[in-house]
Amino acid sequence: MTWASLVHVVVSGLATGSIYALMAIALVIIYNATRTLNFAQGEMLMVSTFVGWTAMQVLQAPLIVALAVAVVAAALLGFVLERVVIRHAISATHFDVLIITLGLSLMLRSAAGVTWTHDEFPFPSFFSNRPLMVGPLRVAPVSLGIIGASLGMMLVLGALFRWTRLGRAMRAVAQNQRAARLMGISVERVYSSSWMIAAVVGAVAGVLIAPVVFLSSKMGLVAINGFTAAVLGGFGSMPGAVVGGMLLGVLENLAPLYLPASIKHSVPFLVMITILIVRPGGVLGRVARRKV
Amino acid sequence: MRRFALATGAVVVVGWPWAAPPYFIFLASLIAVNAIVAIGLNLLSGYTNQLSFGHAGFLAIGAYAAAILTIRAPALPVPAALLLAGLITGAVGLALGVPCLRLEGLYLAMATLAFGFVVVEAILNLDGLTRGNDGLHVPAARLGPWSLATDTARYYLVVAVAALLIAAAVNISRTRTGRALLAVRESEIAAQASGVNLAAYKTLAFVVSAFYTGVAGGLFALVVGFVSPDSFDVFLSVDFVAMIIVGGLGSILGSVIGAAVITTLNDSLAGFQNYRPLIFGAILIMSMLFMPGGIASALRRIPGAGAWPLFTRRDDR
Amino acid sequence: MIRRASLLLLLALIVGALPAAAQQGVTDTEIVIGSSNSFSGPLAFTGEQITKFGVDLYFRVVNDGGGIHGRKIRTVYYDDGYRPQDAVANTKKLVEQDKVFAIIIPQGSPPVVATLEYLEENKVPLLFPYQSSPVTRGKRHIIQGMTLSDRSSKMMIDYLAGQRKIKRFAALYQDDEYGKSFLTAFEKDLARYNLKLVAAESVKRGVTDVSAQIAKLQAAKPEVTFLVLVPGPGAQALKERQKIGWKDTLMVSTGPLTDERYLGLAGDAAEGVEGLSLWPDPLTSDLPGVKLYREHMQRYHPKNEPNRYSIAGYFAAMMFAEGAKRAGRNLTRDSLMAAFDSFKGFETGILPPITIGPDHEAQKQGFWVRVENGRFKQLTDWLKSE
Repeated sequence: MTWASLVHVVVSGLATGSIYALMAIALVIIYNATRTLNFAQGEMLMVSTFVGWTAMQVLQAPLIVALAVAVVAAALLGFVLERVVIRHAISATHFDVLIITLGLSLMLRSAAGVTWTHDEFPFPSFFSNRPLMVGPLRVAPVSLGIIGASLGMMLVLGALFRWTRLGRAMRAVAQNQRAARLMGISVERVYSSSWMIAAVVGAVAGVLIAPVVFLSSKMGLVAINGFTAAVLGGFGSMPGAVVGGMLLGVLENLAPLYLPASIKHSVPFLVMITILIVRPGGVLGRVARRKV
Repeated sequence: MRRFALATGAVVVVGWPWAAPPYFIFLASLIAVNAIVAIGLNLLSGYTNQLSFGHAGFLAIGAYAAAILTIRAPALPVPAALLLAGLITGAVGLALGVPCLRLEGLYLAMATLAFGFVVVEAILNLDGLTRGNDGLHVPAARLGPWSLATDTARYYLVVAVAALLIAAAVNISRTRTGRALLAVRESEIAAQASGVNLAAYKTLAFVVSAFYTGVAGGLFALVVGFVSPDSFDVFLSVDFVAMIIVGGLGSILGSVIGAAVITTLNDSLAGFQNYRPLIFGAILIMSMLFMPGGIASALRRIPGAGAWPLFTRRDDR
Repeated sequence: MIRRASLLLLLALIVGALPAAAQQGVTDTEIVIGSSNSFSGPLAFTGEQITKFGVDLYFRVVNDGGGIHGRKIRTVYYDDGYRPQDAVANTKKLVEQDKVFAIIIPQGSPPVVATLEYLEENKVPLLFPYQSSPVTRGKRHIIQGMTLSDRSSKMMIDYLAGQRKIKRFAALYQDDEYGKSFLTAFEKDLARYNLKLVAAESVKRGVTDVSAQIAKLQAAKPEVTFLVLVPGPGAQALKERQKIGWKDTLMVSTGPLTDERYLGLAGDAAEGVEGLSLWPDPLTSDLPGVKLYREHMQRYHPKNEPNRYSIAGYFAAMMFAEGAKRAGRNLTRDSLMAAFDSFKGFETGILPPITIGPDHEAQKQGFWVRVENGRFKQLTDWLKSE
């Protein structure tokens, strides 16, 4: 194993890791607003990517159109799901809502299978798959592209949370809903926006990862890694989600390189259990203390 | 009223193999197996307000333990095999439960989810014992002179074990331990202040939950007749969680109903082929929208249902 | 008590008086067969194609032509989502509730293997299971369809190590029954040439990235790298190879993977890949059976592109129809199995003439292909696996 190929494997892991990070961020956005674990996040990603792809096929349009349509479709889907389903369960327990999002994920995957079949489809990429030579290193533009685009998306989100009214409202709701409401923040609007933003983040992740794992009804399963990433980083924290995602992506790639076949597939899970036991709030998280 | 309901239930359960077509005997066995898992999961979730997404892992341990015992020690009577399956799984539950004491909510959910994956990986790699991906055929178990080779025989075994474990679960809440667990459920901090050893009781809930699921796993192996790593994926754990939430968190009757509903739905929708998950998902959503808190909570609103105090819990909304 | 006993006696008399032809699942006008299959889960696409667009396509043609000895064929399918326990439940339901005559083309090793003992106990014919583990070989009530992994492996190693004198082999395999059964077979067949796999790396179903595995394989410098995967990860592996510019290995796909699906997914990264193909090209082959299959697909499902899954189902249905025809009007499970045993050089127009011997395998062959300009080009005639 040369160190050049090691660099490639790590960069590749960072690329998938940044997709996990985006999924983790989307999950955290929804969790912070409605305290919902959104099991349907992956399927929302999958459906919006399919919609974008279909528009591209029908219109014979370039890839950027697929991205635009996917983003719009995602926002719409997020809005509708929150308004039509989740909002009605607002008085229910978190556990009830969990089952609702589980039901949504089953429905979306099955509906996608009925609409587009369960086949896998090739998806064009913004970035080339052919390697570039940088000194002794081979670099795949597709990996760098995914990392770059994801980081861009994260910066946009960071700016949104920090400097916009909506972002401040979302942070306020995440900290304390009742106080936020008393401050005159429309909590319902934050719910809607959170679901829409999370869906859009998912759509971008979907368009980025579809050329790698291909477009199919099962591509939403990547959300499981998003959960792992979010928890690794400390659920609720955005920087934590990014760190958790990258960590998981690299770990998944390094384990098969250096460890015997018998445990390499368990490594991400063993590491997660270990991290949780050592730092119960995740790498960057704090343990919340409950009051009596 | 309550005695009458119990008696009717007992008659239906005992008479079922004579009344129902053969396939439904098998289906009823599956329901009983899942009901035991649901009760086990509910003992953990209901008392500690924590979900586990790793119970397919416990089920797998119990199933493989019973399968391997039945294959390697054919003379072992089936109650012993099931007890061992439960104890082995309980021991693993202890090993997982102690370090997981510090975890709550989401973090425990993810740790248990990871545990489920690790169990499947371990089964794959211990292939000398488990035959890895090939899976194991489970021969008919023996009970003294009888070989449990028919669906009816297996049904009675499963139902007897389920009845025993349900009775035990109902009675736990009447003991000192049960009252302590109830106190933990209502408020961990208040319970601790009243002298309840929180760590010990939470660990106990974990171990008992694993034990129940392990026994259910043993029965699963006997009823299905085949175990393989593909049988115990994360979606099965999710199904178990759906059973207790749709049934009603913290309710034993709810666990049984939830297991019956989810198992029957899963089975009767199979004929819808590609539409199966679509319909299943829609039903899950509808049931939670119209029956928040699950079926047990909806039943509680029916007059007269108050006669089942031990089966119900407060609403925690 | 006495009344009940006499009722049972009466029932027994009626049953006994019925003609011997009254086999479960066979009436004067109908034959009912079915299977548990994947309509959800990882192999949902394959499941739908082999059943609804394969088996049902051929039976529709048969039924439109008057059926078999005046009986129409009806199929029942249940979804198991690739879970063994659901496959057991579905299979019991098929046999006990739907009273099927036989099981046709259930999919996947774990679900199929889970039902083997039950079907054998009840003497229900298991026809053309769509899986490649050798456990189904030579069983009284099973006719295996897909070429088994050990035969595929033998053909591949004999061709590559024997004819082409290649020495260094590696494998990238799926970490499940499918992958492992090929790995075991490769090791056994290579040993006959005093060779060993120089590297073997596994991937999980639904993997996101295979760069580590490919890097490790590259480091072992194999001349040939076997891909024992399903289309998604197979195409991922090819694209990963392109990504690192690894040129000095020949990638070779196993039979279940050698399919247009992964060519389409990998695009130009698939150029030059070779493989063992179990089926003639469903889109371009001039064989009479394949042409007929395309015609029927065009007539009944014009929107469904021909592929190797639906043709496998179509073939299974054709074999069943031939068996049922030979069994005659008095169709029973025994007469059907006897009819299959009489297959000597049966022409399907899709595969070479079918002879069913004591091993009960309908399909034992494959031929070598290379990808040129996005299609498979046939390089050899049908290879031998005996």
